[in-house]
Amino acid sequence: MPESIIQVQDLTKIYQVPERSPGLGASLRGLIKPQYRQVKAVTQINFAVDLGEMVGLIGPNGAGKTTTLKMLSGLLYPTEGTAHVAGYTPWERQPAYLRRISMVMGNRSAMNWDIPPLDSFRVLSKIYDVPENAYKQTLDELIALLDMEALLKKPVRNLSLGERMKCELVAGLLYQPDILFLDEPTLGLDVAMQRRLRQFLKQYNQSHAVTVILTSHYMADVTALCPRVILIHHGQLLYDGALQSLAEKLAPFKLVKLQFNTVVDDFDGFIQQFQEIEHLPKENGHHTLRIPRGDVAQVTARLLQQLPIADLTVEDPPIEAVIDQIYEEGVL
Amino acid sequence: MRYIKLIGAFFKVSAQAEMAYRVNFFLRLFYAFLNLLTGVLSLVVIFNQVEMIKGWDLPSAMGLLGVYLLLGALRGLFISPSLESVAGMDGEIWQGTFDFTLLRPVDKLFLVSFRHWRIFALVDLLIGLGVLGYAIHLMGAALTLGAVIHFIITLLCGVILLYAALLAFSALVFWNSGFLFTWVINDLFQLARYPLGLYPGWLRLILTWIIPVGLMTTIPAQALAGSLSTGMLILTVLFTIGAFLGATWLFRQGLQKYASASS
Amino acid sequence: MNHQGGWALIKNTWQSWLQHRGFFFLLAFGWMLPLLVYLFVWSAAAEGGTLNGLSQDTLASYYLVLILVNQLTYTTANWTVGDIIRYGQINRWLLQPMSPIYHALSSEIAGKVVFMLFSIPITGILALIIQPQFNLTWQKGLLFIPSLLLAWMLRFFWGYWLALMAFWATRADSLLALQDSLVFLIGGHLAPIKLLPDWMQLPARILPFRYMSAFPVEILTSQLSYDEIFLGLVIQAGWAFLSVMIYRLVWRHGVRHYEAVGG
Repeated sequence: MPESIIQVQDLTKIYQVPERSPGLGASLRGLIKPQYRQVKAVTQINFAVDLGEMVGLIGPNGAGKTTTLKMLSGLLYPTEGTAHVAGYTPWERQPAYLRRISMVMGNRSAMNWDIPPLDSFRVLSKIYDVPENAYKQTLDELIALLDMEALLKKPVRNLSLGERMKCELVAGLLYQPDILFLDEPTLGLDVAMQRRLRQFLKQYNQSHAVTVILTSHYMADVTALCPRVILIHHGQLLYDGALQSLAEKLAPFKLVKLQFNTVVDDFDGFIQQFQEIEHLPKENGHHTLRIPRGDVAQVTARLLQQLPIADLTVEDPPIEAVIDQIYEEGVL
Repeated sequence: MRYIKLIGAFFKVSAQAEMAYRVNFFLRLFYAFLNLLTGVLSLVVIFNQVEMIKGWDLPSAMGLLGVYLLLGALRGLFISPSLESVAGMDGEIWQGTFDFTLLRPVDKLFLVSFRHWRIFALVDLLIGLGVLGYAIHLMGAALTLGAVIHFIITLLCGVILLYAALLAFSALVFWNSGFLFTWVINDLFQLARYPLGLYPGWLRLILTWIIPVGLMTTIPAQALAGSLSTGMLILTVLFTIGAFLGATWLFRQGLQKYASASS
Repeated sequence: MNHQGGWALIKNTWQSWLQHRGFFFLLAFGWMLPLLVYLFVWSAAAEGGTLNGLSQDTLASYYLVLILVNQLTYTTANWTVGDIIRYGQINRWLLQPMSPIYHALSSEIAGKVVFMLFSIPITGILALIIQPQFNLTWQKGLLFIPSLLLAWMLRFFWGYWLALMAFWATRADSLLALQDSLVFLIGGHLAPIKLLPDWMQLPARILPFRYMSAFPVEILTSQLSYDEIFLGLVIQAGWAFLSVMIYRLVWRHGVRHYEAVGG
């Protein structure tokens, strides 16, 4: 069994945040004896990622995803715990390590805005010591994959958000890193562009065996790209495994949508006989019932028998709704 | 060496970016001229009233002005543009994009010091040399080889001191990201326009040993005029080395602070 | 004329500027420093005697008062007006039922309060350190006040109409930079008017720059006879009212041009 390329053990990050009470007296006191409050951003997380895997790091705002990513990329020192990425300790920031990783952030730009992207790429190739022909080859490949030929000569400030993201990806990949950290890469992009970038990432991951850790608010990113998710909430790792199983675990029910031939009186009354079935608000003329997974077969059989049903479908609850629920209720 | 090649690449990219901004080569020329005019006219007005102030006459004061302009030009050539891109207004710390810099497989101090160039400062450099040349002409008396060597050494010290001061003030941004520390040192640098001797004792001490803007221009000017003692020369060199080491240490501390607290 | 709207604007601007007082203190520091330099230069030059009748004490007190008066009359709004026109934000102003000058005035007043929070204590400390002899008579004080008000009015409107050149030319701030340089050279900053060389005397006394900050200070520090004061006040008032008239002319034509061109 090959050793995992990313190994995280008991990783913890506690921030000391200065406390600032209002008022002049408090400010003076704070000057002499500053008060600190401990914020536990990440607490004792453990996981391992294999070469070439694409893992989604999900969780609500402030859960600790970005903090974790920053520790793995070496931008942040942990308070406790260890991490090994490609055999290095990230926060030592050894040049050899930095050459093998890449971080692309959706809301921040690594480009020089006054010059065409090509020039920024060239400087980066020099910083990363990429040999000339390797640079040309990689660049050509990326430009073709992302369909960016037309953008190359325009100054970055004149590009749209989507075009800029393409540039950020090229900037992040032109030195062929082994590990790619993506922090909200599709933030603010329109649906078509999001899809385009997802396609690219999937293709790239498959053809180059790049290990990818991705954080995103858009569940569509995660469902499209990450067979495996790690759920972090309140700094703790709550789940690590297949996305599908997470949904099943969190929301152990299915949605049954019904349409009737004729008007049915007292449908609610009828439902009452089944415990644990919820009658959800009517949508587009469909009645929706939420039924525990185990009971689905039995209940649908009864419904079909006893009601004039024109149409019946059984669905999984949308993952977004499931995840939203966790985000809101904070429970697993 | 790789780092020298990198400087070349940075220079090239900066030149391209600068030329992309066709904001008036002529406007900048105008400002450079204005700068020169006010500098020279100031000296003319002052020395119209007195022949000498605390041992400094017009030629030696003009020599000091030349040094001041030269240092300013070097600062504007790469020291300021590079450091301000991190610590200045709309800089990387301000905007939150310093992470990218931190991730590059190059020494961060090097990156932060040599990354951005403003080639128009070469014009300022020429102007500074011109003023210096004119001052030497006014001084008339022969320049000894010793004076020239002393001058070059102390000028180098002046540049390094200016760099160290800017670096140290820039580093403070890691502890308080909202305040424009570099503006403080840039403002204080104006005190270097005139010889240290003009200022009252208490200020002279501050400007020599605490925030050494006085050392940056007065010492080289004294060297040029041949009035620099060897003792002071050695002291200046030692102080410069110390300041440089102190500033780089402070910067690296700042990096550590950033990497333990950024969220 | 909407007074209530104007007052609310001033209060709002003041509160938000107070939040960023670190930045504004830094600006005030930057403006103070050049004047401080010349305080020391002239004090050193006048050591042991007088220059054209001005003693070391008079020169020191002149500059200390000038630091405060300069801060009071310096208009920051001029710099932002040009930008506002260039970036089209002026459309919003033109739509409001309040004369746009209120915006400039509100930031003026707000700014003055914040800047003075810095300048007054610092100047006070400097005065305690330097301890210049200062003779104040109530007559001079009485004449000082209208002169100060006229100085502010002149500097504000003169700068404002220059800034409005942004309606026609894109880089009108070079004109403002030129104004600052002229105020420095012949407006009493580089040297009190009395100490300027003969060939500069006439332009300095006739042109408006002296009356923008130095003139009230000259009155207060007893550098002028009553005849000179009254003549100066006449010239100052003349320039002040002329600047208002030029401003109104430029504004009217500027808005017309702007609307014709399509903003």
